[in-house]
Amino acid sequence: MKEGAKEPPGVTASSTLRAVSGLRLVGIRKSYGDNPVVKGVDLEVASGEFLVMVGPSGCGKTTLLRVIAGLEQVDSGQVLVDGKDMTSVPPRDRDVGMVFQSYALYPHMTVRENLAFGLELRKLPRADIEARVAEAARMLELAPLLERKPKALSGGQRQRVAMGRVIVRRPQLFLFDEPLSNLDTALRVQMRGELARLHRQLGVTMIYVTHDQVEAMTLATRVAVFNKGILQQLGAPLELYHRPANTFVATFLGSPSMNLFDARRDGATFVGTGFSLSATGDATGDVKLGLRPQDLLVSSDGPFSGEVEAVERLGFDGYAFVKTAAGPLTARFDGTLPVDVGQNVKVKPSGDVLHVFSPDGAKAHHHPEARR
Amino acid sequence: MKQWAWLTILLSVSALAEKPLKLWHAYRGGEERAIELAVKKFTAETGTQVELLSVPYDAFSSKLTSAIPHDAGPDVFIFAHERLRQFHRLKVVATTTTRVDRTKYFPSTVDALEVDGELYGYPLSLKTLALFVNTSLVTNAPTTTDELLAELARTTDATQYRYGLAYAAGDFYLHAPFVFGFGAKLFDESGRATLNTPGMAKSFGFVKSLQDRGFMPKEVSGALVKSLFNEGRAAMVISGPWFTGEIEKSVAYRIVPLPIVSETGLPLTPWLGVEAALVSSRTEQPEQAHALAKYLSLGEATALRVDPGGQIPAEIAAYERPEVQQDPIISAFRDVATRAAPTPNTLEMARVWEPMKLALRGVLQGDVLPDQAGALAERRFRALNRERPADANPLPFVLVALLAVAGLAVWQWRRRGPAQAFAKRYPEASRGLAYVAPAAIGIGVLVVIPFAVGISLAFFHHDAGDYSFVGLANFVDILTSKGYRITEPLSFWFTLAVTVAWTFINVVLHVSIGLFLAILLKDPLLKLRGFYRVVLIIPWAVPNYITALMWKGMFHQQFGAINGLLAAFGIEPVSWFTHFSTSFAANVITNTWLGFPFMMVVSLGALQSIPQDLYEAAEVDGASKWVQFRRITLPLLKPALLPSVILGSVWTFNMFNIIYLVSGGEPGGATDILVSEAYRWAFQRNEQYGFAAAYSVLIFFVLLAWTRITRRLSGPEAA
Amino acid sequence: MKRSGLTVALIHMGLVLACAASLYPVLWVVKMALSPAQSLSLSINPFPETVTFDHFRDVIFSYDSQGRWLFGRQLLASIVVSGATTLVGLSLAVTAAYALSRFRFPGKDAGMQTLLVTQMFPATLMLVPLYRLLQTLGLLDSWGGLVLVYSTSSLPFCVWMLKGYFDTIPRELEEAAVMDGATPWQVFTRVVLPLARPALAVTALFSFMTAWNEFILAATLINDAARFTLPVALQQYVGEWKTEWGHFAAGALIVSAPVMALFFALQKFLVGGLTAGAVKG
Repeated sequence: MKEGAKEPPGVTASSTLRAVSGLRLVGIRKSYGDNPVVKGVDLEVASGEFLVMVGPSGCGKTTLLRVIAGLEQVDSGQVLVDGKDMTSVPPRDRDVGMVFQSYALYPHMTVRENLAFGLELRKLPRADIEARVAEAARMLELAPLLERKPKALSGGQRQRVAMGRVIVRRPQLFLFDEPLSNLDTALRVQMRGELARLHRQLGVTMIYVTHDQVEAMTLATRVAVFNKGILQQLGAPLELYHRPANTFVATFLGSPSMNLFDARRDGATFVGTGFSLSATGDATGDVKLGLRPQDLLVSSDGPFSGEVEAVERLGFDGYAFVKTAAGPLTARFDGTLPVDVGQNVKVKPSGDVLHVFSPDGAKAHHHPEARR
Repeated sequence: MKQWAWLTILLSVSALAEKPLKLWHAYRGGEERAIELAVKKFTAETGTQVELLSVPYDAFSSKLTSAIPHDAGPDVFIFAHERLRQFHRLKVVATTTTRVDRTKYFPSTVDALEVDGELYGYPLSLKTLALFVNTSLVTNAPTTTDELLAELARTTDATQYRYGLAYAAGDFYLHAPFVFGFGAKLFDESGRATLNTPGMAKSFGFVKSLQDRGFMPKEVSGALVKSLFNEGRAAMVISGPWFTGEIEKSVAYRIVPLPIVSETGLPLTPWLGVEAALVSSRTEQPEQAHALAKYLSLGEATALRVDPGGQIPAEIAAYERPEVQQDPIISAFRDVATRAAPTPNTLEMARVWEPMKLALRGVLQGDVLPDQAGALAERRFRALNRERPADANPLPFVLVALLAVAGLAVWQWRRRGPAQAFAKRYPEASRGLAYVAPAAIGIGVLVVIPFAVGISLAFFHHDAGDYSFVGLANFVDILTSKGYRITEPLSFWFTLAVTVAWTFINVVLHVSIGLFLAILLKDPLLKLRGFYRVVLIIPWAVPNYITALMWKGMFHQQFGAINGLLAAFGIEPVSWFTHFSTSFAANVITNTWLGFPFMMVVSLGALQSIPQDLYEAAEVDGASKWVQFRRITLPLLKPALLPSVILGSVWTFNMFNIIYLVSGGEPGGATDILVSEAYRWAFQRNEQYGFAAAYSVLIFFVLLAWTRITRRLSGPEAA
Repeated sequence: MKRSGLTVALIHMGLVLACAASLYPVLWVVKMALSPAQSLSLSINPFPETVTFDHFRDVIFSYDSQGRWLFGRQLLASIVVSGATTLVGLSLAVTAAYALSRFRFPGKDAGMQTLLVTQMFPATLMLVPLYRLLQTLGLLDSWGGLVLVYSTSSLPFCVWMLKGYFDTIPRELEEAAVMDGATPWQVFTRVVLPLARPALAVTALFSFMTAWNEFILAATLINDAARFTLPVALQQYVGEWKTEWGHFAAGALIVSAPVMALFFALQKFLVGGLTAGAVKG
């Protein structure tokens, strides 16, 4: 979102000022008892950005989000907003809104009261409150539901109320904690679209926590991948996909996940158990090779061979799970081919597709040229 | 300087505004009206204002003994003379030796107020026992027991439920005349109780034979006496002046002295109870207080005492008034009173009641032979009269206590986790503590302090306001069951067993009935469900002392609805409180009635939290209803019910009201539980607070152990 | 699940029997209160043969020698004392239970244990030290003293139950309120308390009952008949020599009526309020 973009109706001129704001996390550490969950995270989020934090459960992403919200106190480190230290400022003074995984709608209030609650606490004039609630209701198509209690809403409707509750307050920073995880697939797709639309429409900064890589890839302007309390990589979705910083990011993003093989550089080739590939990059000695299933094709010849253990046909194409001497391997095949379980097949990489990592997987040596 | 100034101000203020005198009593009805009128007259004559307070009888004595030593009590109070010795030892009464003109009252009423050669209070009225004779059934009132027996044989017709005599035979106060009539004495020259004498055995035998020959009904209560006499089904009744108010106008009767025992030639000598106006030792206005007390005992006040009071005055001059002379009841009782002997006001006397009641009821119920009852009473008397344990040196105890505290502190210190900064360990400490503080202060002051005082009392012996440190002697006496056999009702172990059985049976019944009803009520489509639920909650909403009194009435042998119901099914009426099993059952039934709604409500809530699809799954698996109950309902209810069961068991364990009011420990204290036993030691056996506190501490430890065990058994999820 | 006609009939039969058992004794009291006699006169029939309201009239229109309307004043005393006990007890219990449910602070576990433990010591023996204590605090012969004692004595149970209920309220709701800009106090009053309504209702009922039904302390501490609470007045009908059963029964009904009314008004909360607390104990 660029500065000077057309403002959505109802957003005041102050949002222009907000647009220059940014969030910076410096050396955030947090542990529960003896159990460290966030182990020193530095992160910068530009204004208007849609940052998605992904990672397996327990990776510290939610804790980090709560630190940003002000719901958790850090052990050390700083949360800076527009250069101001907000580390120990209570949530209500942070101008932050948050959508919870369980939505956390107040069961004793109607939808209208839920939406108005935050505004009432801030002692806004009644007319303003009504206007804002009406606006949010229109934006989220909640108008017919305003007098209902949360109990009487469907999952998607609750989700929208939860978002509306944040929208009415017009914070500069929206936080989402796995907001779509309780919805069914179809609704999830729909809500993803709505979220993206909202982001465009409101032009605010959004930070979004999920363990679903699809959400990460589709929504984010940038993605931050976490594992074990450490930020693994931060970047645009496709950059992470094409140029993963380590095998964790490489396998976490992309579905089915990337195939990894141990190999050794021998001159111009990488030699592994039962296969050899022409080497790319300048890594020497032991390496870990990564190949995305999409870049491997079942064909009549190729460096890998083995028995098909399972087949996933998706129509136009499909994936075959092959047991090779180097380990299990997933490869794509043309949907018209008669690939079957028990069959012996060969697998061939489609061009320059090899990712090369250090043998422990912690560092990337080489990536194929990105295809755009 | 400053203090002096204050004192002067105080003195001048108190001199300016004379405070009204406070007069406490437990009168009701006509007696209350009489005292009010008398006080009005007093104020009119002297200008001294008087504030009256009528205190419920049950609370009167404890209110007096708590209030007066703390300067919160009355200036004058009216009480029967039997408690005088106790009041004297607690130093709450002022002497009147030099103020009372002995010649103005019946000598025996003045004697009754004497303690160690000093007089206390002014005699107001007297209470004693006489024979009420229904003149339409008995023309010549019997003067000897032989005549009495002849009359009884003539007037009794057991098949018609007609009796010659009715009186509350199980009450030792009413039995005492027989004791004296058969030549027995309760105390020897040195004042020691002598309960095991031939005369005593004869008195028991005589009364027992009256009952065995059907001359009087069994298990007589005041209510029964009243209705029998009013319905003309009891020809004679032994009772006191208060009974005159209960007799219906249609009944013609006479009041005569109790007959002479033909065998000994001695009269059946009833006790004389003297009500006295006692002056508080702490009154700030002694002159006015004495003036008031004296005024109430003489002249105009006595006249009011007769009418509307209906009392028998102690003042001699009162009987010269024409209106008194014309009153046949008053003059009859005057006659009776001259033959009565004042109840001894000694501490020994106070300790005789419980053993004698035990022996008397044992005889009447046929559990004890008349000639063995005396020995039984004597043994119980010894058991109740604990000797003062030797003083102990408090130093070792203080040391042990300090060591224990230190040890606990060290243990806590070592137990806490790895050293962490306080702020990190408890980020919300200040907020949390702020929220808790008001409640913590309240509980700390009003619950924990009395609790700590209660516990420390257990190491003391209390004797009329003096506490002496006796170390563990109270506990040793209780746990070794000193003075009585372990299988006797007085023994801690016996009472503990009863208490455990009581708790267990009650809780099982509460839970099973509650759960059963909850299962019946579970179906949300059930018609009238709301109505049933409301009705079934009623027993919970009724205050439990009302419940207790209500059921006590329903278990009455003659009038009780329960026996009425049994009779409808052709079952003989049960005398509920004479046997351990039935008495215990009566308690349990009452408490079950009172307790099941709580468990029903808890079960109902817990049942609703069990997902219905579990039952559907089980149905599909082919599980029967019973299997579903055993394998789904019960296990899933456990975590919800367990805390309530623990709570319920603690409540039941200490359910004082029901035991005290329904069975009252009958027979012979066998159905008492630990709390009611502790209560008796504290308030009915010469204020042995220390001993009672030791009981309470033991109760506390039993319950503590019980909750620990259940928590462990129930696993971590409930802990 | 479908039920056969027979099952339904059996269920109704069981419930009707249970209802009869729970109503029967109460009808007795009604009968005693309405019958002219002052004595116990019990037969199987729980309905009065002749009806008179004399006992109620005597109880309600009772005046003392100074012409003060005793019943009215005692009713007022009961209402004031019980009402204040409920208010004080509830506000103390609610804050304490919330802190125990939500915050970590030193002495928390010890505090919880102490709460439970104090319930196990028989209350009878507390009277002696309590009297002394109240005198020291200058609260003898005052409603204030009664209110304090009642509210603290029912406090452990109330705290324990409310804490159990608070434990079941999701923390996310509170965090949502925090994000909405609520101060801790606002979170408590505007989100937590409204959600804990069933438990609050039950706790209030218990506090109220404690105060409404107690008579020993009230009789011991209060020195003016016009400031007695109703149960003390009721106790006066039970004398040393005779009990005025008719008056007692009428009084008992009058005393029980408000508690019953409260029970019925709050019974829909009883099930949820008690159990949620009990589940988490």
